[in-house]
Amino acid sequence: MSVRWRPSILIIISFVTACLTSEIAPARETLALGVFAYRSDHIIRERYEPLVRYLSEEAGVDVTLEVLNQDQMSRAVAANRLDFFLTNPSHFLQIRSERSLTGVLATLVRRSGDNSTASLGGVMFTRAEREDIDALGDIQGKSIASPGVHFLGGYQAQALELLDAGVDIRRMNLVRFVDTHDRVVRSVLSEDSDVGFIRTSILEEMALEDPDLLAQIKVLNHQALAGFPYAVSTRLYPEWPLVALPHVNERDVRRVASALFALEPEDEAAAAAGISGFSPPADYQSVEYLARTLRVPPYDQMPQVTWVDVLNQYRIWVFTILVLVILLLGSSLWLGRSKRELAVQQKRLKRLIRDWPQPALLIREGVLVNTNRAAVDLLRYASDESLHGKGLAVFSPEYQPDGQLSSQKMAQTLVRVRGGLVEQCEWMLLRSDRTEVWVDMTLAPVEGEGDSEPVILCSLYDITRRKQAEQRQRLAASVFDHAREAIFITDSHGVVLDANDAYLEITGRPQKRAIGRLPPLPLDEGSSVFSTARNQGFWSGEFACKHHNGDNLILAVTISSVRGDHGEVSHFVGIFSDITRLKEQERKLLVMAHYDALTGLPNRVLFSDRLQQAMALALRQGVRLAVVYIDLDEFKPVNDAFGHEAGDQLLIEISSRMRAVLREEDTLARLGGDEFAAIVTNVQREDSLEGLLARLLGRVAEPVWVANHSVEVSASIGYTLFPQTENLDGDQLLRQADQAMYQAKHRGRNRYVRFSAPSG
Amino acid sequence: MQRRDFLGLSIAAGLSVAGLSGCSKPGPLAFGIHPWIGYEPLYLARDFGWLPETVTFRTGTSARDSMNGLLSGELGGAALTLDETIRVWSQGTELVVVAVADVSAGADVLMVRPRISELADLRGQRIAVELDGVSGILLLKILEVAGLTRDDIVTVDLPVNLHPEAWARGDVDASVCYEPTVSALEQEGGVRLFDSSEMPETIFDVLVVTRDTAEQNPRAVRDLVAAHFSGLRHLVRSMHDSIYRVASRQGIRPENVKSALGTVMLPDLAANQRYLAASGRVEAMARSLSRLMVREGMIPGEPGFRRLCDPAFLPRRLS
Repeated sequence: MSVRWRPSILIIISFVTACLTSEIAPARETLALGVFAYRSDHIIRERYEPLVRYLSEEAGVDVTLEVLNQDQMSRAVAANRLDFFLTNPSHFLQIRSERSLTGVLATLVRRSGDNSTASLGGVMFTRAEREDIDALGDIQGKSIASPGVHFLGGYQAQALELLDAGVDIRRMNLVRFVDTHDRVVRSVLSEDSDVGFIRTSILEEMALEDPDLLAQIKVLNHQALAGFPYAVSTRLYPEWPLVALPHVNERDVRRVASALFALEPEDEAAAAAGISGFSPPADYQSVEYLARTLRVPPYDQMPQVTWVDVLNQYRIWVFTILVLVILLLGSSLWLGRSKRELAVQQKRLKRLIRDWPQPALLIREGVLVNTNRAAVDLLRYASDESLHGKGLAVFSPEYQPDGQLSSQKMAQTLVRVRGGLVEQCEWMLLRSDRTEVWVDMTLAPVEGEGDSEPVILCSLYDITRRKQAEQRQRLAASVFDHAREAIFITDSHGVVLDANDAYLEITGRPQKRAIGRLPPLPLDEGSSVFSTARNQGFWSGEFACKHHNGDNLILAVTISSVRGDHGEVSHFVGIFSDITRLKEQERKLLVMAHYDALTGLPNRVLFSDRLQQAMALALRQGVRLAVVYIDLDEFKPVNDAFGHEAGDQLLIEISSRMRAVLREEDTLARLGGDEFAAIVTNVQREDSLEGLLARLLGRVAEPVWVANHSVEVSASIGYTLFPQTENLDGDQLLRQADQAMYQAKHRGRNRYVRFSAPSG
Repeated sequence: MQRRDFLGLSIAAGLSVAGLSGCSKPGPLAFGIHPWIGYEPLYLARDFGWLPETVTFRTGTSARDSMNGLLSGELGGAALTLDETIRVWSQGTELVVVAVADVSAGADVLMVRPRISELADLRGQRIAVELDGVSGILLLKILEVAGLTRDDIVTVDLPVNLHPEAWARGDVDASVCYEPTVSALEQEGGVRLFDSSEMPETIFDVLVVTRDTAEQNPRAVRDLVAAHFSGLRHLVRSMHDSIYRVASRQGIRPENVKSALGTVMLPDLAANQRYLAASGRVEAMARSLSRLMVREGMIPGEPGFRRLCDPAFLPRRLS
């Protein structure tokens, strides 16, 4: 007999529920056997009281019975209020997982008539008239009555069987948990539930009290198991275990165990409990497997498999895979980066080619396959598609400036380039707007891999402006060479650097005497003209100089300064022409304007001019002058008689005689016809003047030989003096002399008369 | 002749393989099986639906059906004893042992009249035996142990199911038999003098397939072996369930199933690996058996196999 000290008796007493009506002795030395009330309490109590009495007798200890439902039993075990318990295997597993037990002492062997079994199973049944429920599959969706989740034969065995048949009742069915097997049967019979789940042996036990029961129901999925005494719907599991709790001392356990195994089927206690005794502990592995499969307690929680567990188990694999993954990642990264770099590089190259300001094309098999933007722009097309697939000759005028056919020339060039040469030539292209553009074209073969036909890179350089400049230069050179004007270029000091042919011709200098020397310059100014040109930008003038052979020359020269990049005068450009003959002509015209063509005497214009000057001089010097008006008498008859030629001869002779009479500083002019005028300067005395005039008359009156005739004419002369009291101009003076000449005519000709102011 | 068919003759009767065309080529593996406690895992697997469609059972009444099926090419594999395997091989069909279903440990018994108390007393006695079955082998082994030759005894070649009758008539003094004949003879006053447990690891029940099947339909062979181990696991783990199912099929009481299970060893996966190894027990036993059988004139000559077992079809582990 063990003395078991319960440390907290107050708690225990408070725990004892009202339903435990049996006389639980407060004695400390009794053993408590808990029995799970899988049916109504009173039935269980009725059945197991004899067994408890039998144990008390056989084991020599007081054994008390406690009939408990599963929760109560769990709590009682937790509180150490029980020493032994008898429950279904599922519940046992749950309790075992919650606390350590000494384990199963024995497995119950149930009896049914002559048969006994240590196995139990689940029964699925419905009312006999339910024809719609026959196979396991029919149960899907039906309402189910079951005593509870922790009942092995009342729930779990059926659930596994249905799960194997593809019916998951926990998801697809309404399951009512009604606590006991009796209530399950009642629930099905009263049509509250379609299907009932109970453990084996219940139906047979209930049929003893109600013989009609088996006719009212039908068992589903009936398993024909030879020698198994009960109707069963599922596979079988070991019967209930009787378990000793760890705190029970070993001797008590031994005594109880031996009493249990000693129980004979015929014993009254066994008969009352409906058992044939107890067998050695069964293997409850299959129940564990069931609980694990269904994930019901205590296996409702999956063990946490940590990464460390996995790592430990698959260390080599994980390591290998890790290394492989790292290698793979590394190589992918490396590949990705190379690819990216390559792509970037390719993009950059592409952009470089596309955006390169110099036009570039790729030619394969004679046609363009690739062009950059500059090339498209050069040819003034909208897009490169317009260029692709055509030969370069398409974008050229029919003939190149050298006269060759463009297509022919291009074909020949391409042949040479395919031969491996790099060709460079100037080429004329035709833009989309039909304007021409000169390019410097370089063609080079590009070695491609596996290309039978090499790709040819063609780069173009627009040289149109250079070409135009060349043309201008050529024009300028031709102007320089062919101009009639002399053109020369000097350095900043005026030394001739270059001169054209006209220069040499005008100056008569040979080339070697022209270059490197000063150009012809005016004698009075010399090199100072360059200073003027430097300061004012140009100098121009006319001057005389000598031809190389000594002839006189008059040149009209313009010298312009040429400024360099920094504004300083770097060169002078001179241009001149020979104006010698022009000047001669000018002089002749001047004579014709101021002299009488017949006599060579100054005409009226020059006379007026000189009179003006003489008057000014006389006033300045305070001397007098005389204006003399001379008109030939009887000239007309001579003219009429002997002709104009004779008249002209007469006039020439008379003019010459009069000129000879006058002094050098005096002026004789022919005013027209037979009228003459003279200016006698520096008249000191009037009588010397009169002497002069008399001599004049005398020379005119001498006979003249004209037209083989001797002719005699006379002259009438009027004169006046200057200055007079009145301020007179030249015309007034001449008019006074004219009036005086008329006086002389009037008085009988061949005389001279002084002007006198008309009196009154 | 009818070794391992002591139960379930009636069950198998309707499932004769006659008329079915042989197909050992890819397609389902036709596997010959007959009732024997050691083959129960395969039946359990089939009943629980663990046998894939790659394998179909051809249930015969005895090993003879399976042997004929293998020789005619109708079957791609069968459950046989090791000596039966050697017999088939010696008749020209190459076989591969892919699993050991059980090892007899007392299932094969020498029953004697009570007056015979030791093996030496067998001299001159009439012994009922099914010579061309596994019993013949056991008898040969017994004679070996007893130091007797076949001439020292009188062999009565008789199918095992006829032994109780002959015993009752007093025609024989001893019988080489197995359950349930053993129990029947015990009731008639027979005494167990010797059984296979005294020569452990000698009598193997194995699963064999033809060489062709092993090479051309390995998946089906793996499925078959896996099904056997699934059934075996249920048998072991859910003994409370299995004994009723075996009892139902064999038409006997569950207690008898329990005692029958006690006379065989059911090797698990690890034990199978051991048995089937190149230097394993099965290989060695097969050589020793074939020598013995040649000597006794049971087979015309040694099959000359270099490798009988192939553990490659064993599952790596049970799911």
